[in-house]
Amino acid sequence: MSGPSPTASELAKAMPAPSTLAAAEQQPVNVLVVGVGGQGVIMVSKLIALLAQQQGFEVKQSEVHGMAKRGGAVFSHVRFGERVWSPTIPLGEADFLIALEWAEGLRWLNYLKPDTGVFICDTKQIVPPFSCRDRRPGAALGYVRETVDEVIAKVAEGYAIDATHMAEQLGNDRVANVVLLGALSAALKFPASQWEEIIADFVPKKTVGVNIEALRQGRRWIEEARKGLPHPSTVPTPAMPVHADYRVRLEITPEWCKSCDICVKMCPERCLRLNAERIVELASPEKCTGCRMCEWLCPDFALRVHLDPVRATEGAVR
Amino acid sequence: MLVDQTAEFDVRDYLRKEMMPHFLCPGCGHGIALRALLWAIHDLGIDKDKLAVVSGIGCAGRLSAYIDANTFHVTHGRPLAFATGLALARPDLQVVVISGDGDCLAIGGNHLIHACRRNLNLTCLMLNNEVYGMTGGQVSPTTPETLLTTTTPRGNTEPHFDACALAAAAGAGFVGREVTRHVPKLKELIREGLSHPGFAFIEVLSDCTEILGRKNDLGSSPEMMLRQKSELRPTAYRDTVDMPFRPNHLPTGILARNDRPEYGTSYRRAAAAAREAKP
Amino acid sequence: MNAIDPALAGRPAATLMSGNQACALGAIAGGCRFFAGYPITPSSEIAERLARSLPEVGGVFVQMEDEIASMAAVIGASMGGVKSMTATSGPGFSLKQENLGYAAGAEIPCVIVNVMRGGPSTGMPTRPAQADIMQSRWGSHGDYPIIVLTPWSVREIFDETIRAFDLAERFRTPVVLLYDQVVAQLSETVVLDVVRDTALVERKWASGPPADYKPYAAGADGIPPMVRPGAGYRTHTTGLTHSENGFPTQNPEAVTRNLSRLFSKLDLNREAIDAWHTLGCDDAEVVIVAIGITARAASRAVELCRAQGVRAGLFRPKTLWPFPEDALRAATANARAVLVPELNAGQLSREVQRILGGAKVDGLFRFNGEPLLPSEIAARAAALVKGA
Ligand SMILES: Cc1ncc(C[n+]2csc(CCOP(=O)(O)OP(=O)(O)O)c2C)c(N)n1
Ligand code: SF4
Ligand code: SF4
Ligand code: SF4
Ligand SMILES: [Mg+2]
Repeated sequence: MSGPSPTASELAKAMPAPSTLAAAEQQPVNVLVVGVGGQGVIMVSKLIALLAQQQGFEVKQSEVHGMAKRGGAVFSHVRFGERVWSPTIPLGEADFLIALEWAEGLRWLNYLKPDTGVFICDTKQIVPPFSCRDRRPGAALGYVRETVDEVIAKVAEGYAIDATHMAEQLGNDRVANVVLLGALSAALKFPASQWEEIIADFVPKKTVGVNIEALRQGRRWIEEARKGLPHPSTVPTPAMPVHADYRVRLEITPEWCKSCDICVKMCPERCLRLNAERIVELASPEKCTGCRMCEWLCPDFALRVHLDPVRATEGAVR
Repeated sequence: MLVDQTAEFDVRDYLRKEMMPHFLCPGCGHGIALRALLWAIHDLGIDKDKLAVVSGIGCAGRLSAYIDANTFHVTHGRPLAFATGLALARPDLQVVVISGDGDCLAIGGNHLIHACRRNLNLTCLMLNNEVYGMTGGQVSPTTPETLLTTTTPRGNTEPHFDACALAAAAGAGFVGREVTRHVPKLKELIREGLSHPGFAFIEVLSDCTEILGRKNDLGSSPEMMLRQKSELRPTAYRDTVDMPFRPNHLPTGILARNDRPEYGTSYRRAAAAAREAKP
Repeated sequence: MNAIDPALAGRPAATLMSGNQACALGAIAGGCRFFAGYPITPSSEIAERLARSLPEVGGVFVQMEDEIASMAAVIGASMGGVKSMTATSGPGFSLKQENLGYAAGAEIPCVIVNVMRGGPSTGMPTRPAQADIMQSRWGSHGDYPIIVLTPWSVREIFDETIRAFDLAERFRTPVVLLYDQVVAQLSETVVLDVVRDTALVERKWASGPPADYKPYAAGADGIPPMVRPGAGYRTHTTGLTHSENGFPTQNPEAVTRNLSRLFSKLDLNREAIDAWHTLGCDDAEVVIVAIGITARAASRAVELCRAQGVRAGLFRPKTLWPFPEDALRAATANARAVLVPELNAGQLSREVQRILGGAKVDGLFRFNGEPLLPSEIAARAAALVKGA
């Protein structure tokens, strides 16, 4: 680090409205970062936490453990201030909500402070498997359908950035998270040079350049947006897939089942059980989506999922 | 015999059904690894008649008997050496080796590093359950420190191998690691390995539920399976963040790949030149 | 059919070559198309020669990381349907024993050359010995049948190498070619372009529908046909005890049935396996039983004895294991004494004593890296006759 850094309270005092940092001496600043696995949620929160710590704040950070798989929801709380007690942000207390994925952002909106909370969101849409209410292939998605304008209207201050597109333009779609961080950096008012320094320290050497450029672009975007430039137009909502008609049929080879319980516990719908002889059986056929998890994980090949297409005539005959 | 490749994969098309149920303990991860292998073979449309599976001794080694192909269950630690002879003599066969962590790294360690170096077109699946399962749960070269085994009654104090780092350092053309928990990913990894022209080393993190699991109170089979994830660092994640946030030490995914010349091809090319040079 | 490989065509009628060279040429002539080995004195010339020659006839040579691996690779290649061989000396032979047992149990044809040097352990790498006679028979664990051939000259090494492949293929068994450092590295004038009147033995392949094929069903001669991977049979091969279908079993009846067939398969075919050479045994009062370089000395000793009026004879097993015991009994029927000179502390003599009883069998042992001289053998033989 170079140059004398301002003390925490100096910095907090220097922060202008509409930032909510004014009360940082007493009340911690709460930043909630959300997204899906593989997007770099943890990296964003870690960078915020590291920088805040360097600025002399007490920092607490927490994130979901064990969910960082691709496509799964991931979130991280960062809190910093003179004194921080709890690592988690209560409902309605987040000063900033940084969302790397659109639907995830909307899911967490009620964590924002209703009057002052700032919402910064990538318009990127990833339909995570676990955000589908009905997991049958082709089933209707439970994915959010609000338009950007509807959403932005709900929050005190909201920015919808096509950060992924900007990152792609930079030649590396992985830096979308840093574009959003750049946007946040404009609101947090830590010195810009220190954001860049910490990024340079943190990311792999060969990607320092692209990450810093991403940070600058995010920052510039917010600054322009604050000047009243228009938000990007509506984000396309995912098309509704055609509902394919099929019937799930679970074929069980009871002689091969060794009662290990793997399928029972790993079935996302919990529709299997072991019967009195401790052999697998389908307890709730109506819940089975045909996801094949049980088939894949049965070490004894006792399960086979068939997705039988339902022919148009079939219903009538029965 | 070619199974209709366009048909959806049914593992039973590749099993010797008359041998089933197999001899593995309930919940043993090796069975899941076997599925992933057969699925990858199906995806690639490999003819069962042209598939040769060579396996060593151990629970992992027993798997070859269940595969409807040309299968060879050889001596402890030596499957790579047998397979080297087979693949050199019969380049028309797709040769797959199934080995255990003890089989591949302890008694067979020398064969492994030289197979990596030679880079002959073989795919080696090392099913790592971190223990000698077959012989009742002795310490293996991959048993994590502190774990209890029958030969480490006060907890293991020996350091363990990173088999993938070893294979990559020895020059293997393709190196990857995956858990049995992620069957489609594991299948994809094996598929990539099978398609790689050269030596492919794939470490499958598997669970020995009955022996290692019980001895160390690692929970039921599904609990052990869930535990797998907390020890992993998918390469995608690792590239995003340099510092792991969880005590997850093992990188997964494709860990090394190069295009060193395949040994059999080089040998045959030189041999053909020698024949031509002869009057 | 001309059994001599085209590789030999056009060679001069007489060539000076060493035993190890003859072994390599015999291998190619015998149909060997795969060799895996690990360097060791005094066998390395075989590997060196085949590294050059095998690719020229469409074969494969590979130097493996050790003898365990080379034995494994040889079996692997043979399971792929290719005639295969390895060559080594005592220390390497010990390492090969593990997989040699596999080849015996799973009935995979292969040829193992063991050029004997002095031992134990690293011993005397460049000096002759005949101390692996028992290891070649009993070196691997468990009970198993094996064929061991023991040539005594360069020309015979060539012929016996071809015979080793024929026997291996015909009886689905490992065959050991056992000879000593002297025979391996001495050079003699040989004529190799002789047309053999018999064709090479090719592996008996299964025919008929795969569904009916049983990899270890005895068949007429106790030797089950094999399958070539890729031919549609998709069988299982294992070192575990197996039943006729090739899959592991510990069922006592099945184990008895299959191991009995294994143990007896050579005994049922002794006339095709046994081979020996006699010299002046018909009227011999003393028969010398010897192999390799010692047998060469002994043949001279026979002459020396006869010149002194002692009627000596020589019995030389060419097939060492299974030992041609009927032939030995016949050759020594009229002898008052039997002398077994050998370059070890007493191995062949034990087998001869087992067959003939201890009374008239005596041994002459040397294990210091020096061969036994004809005069020494003759003196002892003469003394035996006089003392007997
Ligand atoms: C030469 C030899 N030494 C020892 C053994 C005994 N043995 C059989 S399996 C095995 C260990 C197997 O462990 P691993 O390779 O990890 O396979 P797992 O059973 O765990 O799948 C041992 C030591 C043997 N069969 N052969
Ligand atoms: S396919 Fe299997 S795992 Fe998936 S919902 Fe149905 S029973 Fe459960
Ligand atoms: S996973 Fe397979 S063996 Fe285990 S309980 Fe389920 S069906 Fe049975
Ligand atoms: S002992 Fe362990 S590795 Fe072997 S079959 Fe049982 S659970 Fe699997
Ligand atoms: Mg193991």
